Amino acid sequence: MEKVASTIIIIGTFLWLFSVIVLEGRWQWQMFSALVLTIGIFTAHFWEELRDTDSTEESGDE
Amino acid sequence: MARERVTQADEWQAWAQRYDIEGGIRTFESGLTVKVFIGALFVGLLMMPGSIYLSYVSGESGAGAAPWVAVILFTELARRSFTTARRQELYMLLGLTGAAVGSGMQYRSFIWYAYFINTPQAASYEIADKIPAWIVPAGDSVGVLTRTLIHPDWFLPIAIYLAQKLLGTLRVVSGQYILFRLTADLERLPYPMAPITAQGATALAETTGKEETWRWRVFSIGSMAGLIWGFLYIGVPSLTGVMMSQPIQILKIPWIDFTQSIEGFAPTGVFALRTDFGQMLFGFVLPFPIVMTEFITAMASQFILNPQILYRYEILHQWKPGLDVRGVGLFNGLDFWISYGMGKSFSLALVGMAASIPMLFKLRKSKKTAGERGSIATPPNRGDFPIWLMGLLWLVGMGGFVWLIHWMVPNFPLSFLLGYAFLYTPLNSYITARTFGVLGRDLFEIPYLHEITFILSRYEEIDIWFAPLPDEDYGRGTQGWRVLELTGTTFTSNLAGTLLIMPILIVSGIVVMHFIWKIAPIPSAQYPFAQMMWPINATNECLWKTSLRDGNSQMLQAIRGDYVSAGFTSSLAIYGMLWVFKLPSMWFYGIVGGIGADPGSMIARLLGAIIGRFYMIKRFGMKRWYMFNPVLAAGFACGVGLIGMGTVAIALVSKAVIVKPF
Repeated sequence: MEKVASTIIIIGTFLWLFSVIVLEGRWQWQMFSALVLTIGIFTAHFWEELRDTDSTEESGDE
Repeated sequence: MARERVTQADEWQAWAQRYDIEGGIRTFESGLTVKVFIGALFVGLLMMPGSIYLSYVSGESGAGAAPWVAVILFTELARRSFTTARRQELYMLLGLTGAAVGSGMQYRSFIWYAYFINTPQAASYEIADKIPAWIVPAGDSVGVLTRTLIHPDWFLPIAIYLAQKLLGTLRVVSGQYILFRLTADLERLPYPMAPITAQGATALAETTGKEETWRWRVFSIGSMAGLIWGFLYIGVPSLTGVMMSQPIQILKIPWIDFTQSIEGFAPTGVFALRTDFGQMLFGFVLPFPIVMTEFITAMASQFILNPQILYRYEILHQWKPGLDVRGVGLFNGLDFWISYGMGKSFSLALVGMAASIPMLFKLRKSKKTAGERGSIATPPNRGDFPIWLMGLLWLVGMGGFVWLIHWMVPNFPLSFLLGYAFLYTPLNSYITARTFGVLGRDLFEIPYLHEITFILSRYEEIDIWFAPLPDEDYGRGTQGWRVLELTGTTFTSNLAGTLLIMPILIVSGIVVMHFIWKIAPIPSAQYPFAQMMWPINATNECLWKTSLRDGNSQMLQAIRGDYVSAGFTSSLAIYGMLWVFKLPSMWFYGIVGGIGADPGSMIARLLGAIIGRFYMIKRFGMKRWYMFNPVLAAGFACGVGLIGMGTVAIALVSKAVIVKPF
């Protein structure tokens, strides 16, 4: 999941750079990049927070 | 070697723990005694004039000193009387004195609007005659022209203010209490920053014991440094201002402007060295990564981004040679940075949500295993209130506030006010209470909410810009209730103290403000900070308040979708890339804070951070340095405040003598 989040964020960042450099910074493309980045950041945080709970519960069961 | 990933919550709590050197207690006592009440009132009212005066002279009120002065006096009296001071008493003293000193500032807006209504800016933007009478009397009224607040002309603004104050107290106390019960009692959130304040009161209570601790020594060092700095920076200009028409400033207040010096190689860049080196103390206290990244980003903004990219591609197109920091800042803001800043703020809200929503899920999941979480039972003798009573008080306070605003701006759609009051405010407050409970700071803020509302409401009158809106946030205040709990102070004693001191402060605040306004016009040469900043503030206020009046306003034109998107998306990209490379999330807050900012305003903070990080920590050790920090900062604030108080006393006496014709 960490790698998925990282990949989405990297794609979002490249999309944004592309929209600024090639597409003259049109807001529609920038906001599309923002959407991709938002998904990546939410994925990252969900993974970050919930992985600890899972591991705690597992160790508690043992 | 791969870097280990640290969650944002863990990262921030690790920092909070550096300051948290001892746990709280769980036996509750009243902190309100007659000697505490009189002590707070005495010191608070003594320092209030100095605090107001300082804020106009240097931009810093120095109000932080007053509670510490009260506590020093209190603890010294206790020692001389062979008795001890309890931590509950000292925490109450800190709170009440802070309220007393700050009470003068509550009338600050009266003085500002009395100035604003007669500015050329307000006239040229055609809003001077449209400022409502419940904000300030007419520009040609006797109350404004003779600089007197104690005049029938001011009756309506003061009455409206008092009604707001009363209703606000009802809402804030009840709203904060309900949220505290939800987050601290029911969900058992840790409130990691609360122990810092609690530790301050504990530390000072120790000084009344038989043995003198290190804290007294550190406080004294800070105080002496504050006295010396305060004399040079505030004392000399204030005292010479009494004797000369043009005060002498050893260091120019508030900054030394190098903007024109750098325009040859960095056009559109700004660099104004802020001369308030008291900011170094903040550098000591603030996390080093934030201060450092903020400065580096600000330097890159002003020396690379502005001149080499934004200016070259004519995005910053209004700049012309010879402008000072204020001019360049205004034009750069209109051309790009206001829009970019809006997007940047939206990204902060989104990042805050991304960090806090998964925490909700995590807590819900772990709640099943935690035995105590989920119980709303209160500890014995804490002085709690019935939840239903607090809910009722909040409804009364908020209902009355909405009615008052509706009376002030009758044509503004009521549905927006009700939506703010009963939907947005509870939601916003709850999110903030949660982030304070977990991270000790606010993460959620929707920027430019008022502007968006005004656009959506299609309301075009100017008066709405002067009216308060019921979009409130009680989440921040929940931390104070947690500090009360940690110091073992009963809630009832704190509420009683607040309610008892309030009427006294309402009256004394207005009298003191009236007298300070009588000394000299604000702004004028006597008040250099106000003289420097208020004209530019007036221009900005005119730009904002007319931004929605017609489609051609400068401010509306300044807000461009592509630049707002750039601010939003680039900030998200920075945050995301920091996460990908497992770098501290603190860097993000530093970068976002520094981008587009003036690096000259950060030099003092940076110096403090470097000295702290590379000398003090090595000299004293990490733990001891973080123990010293708050006490040293308090001592410094105390020293500066004492100098401010002394000089304002001399200035007041001098003016009283000179003004009299016989």
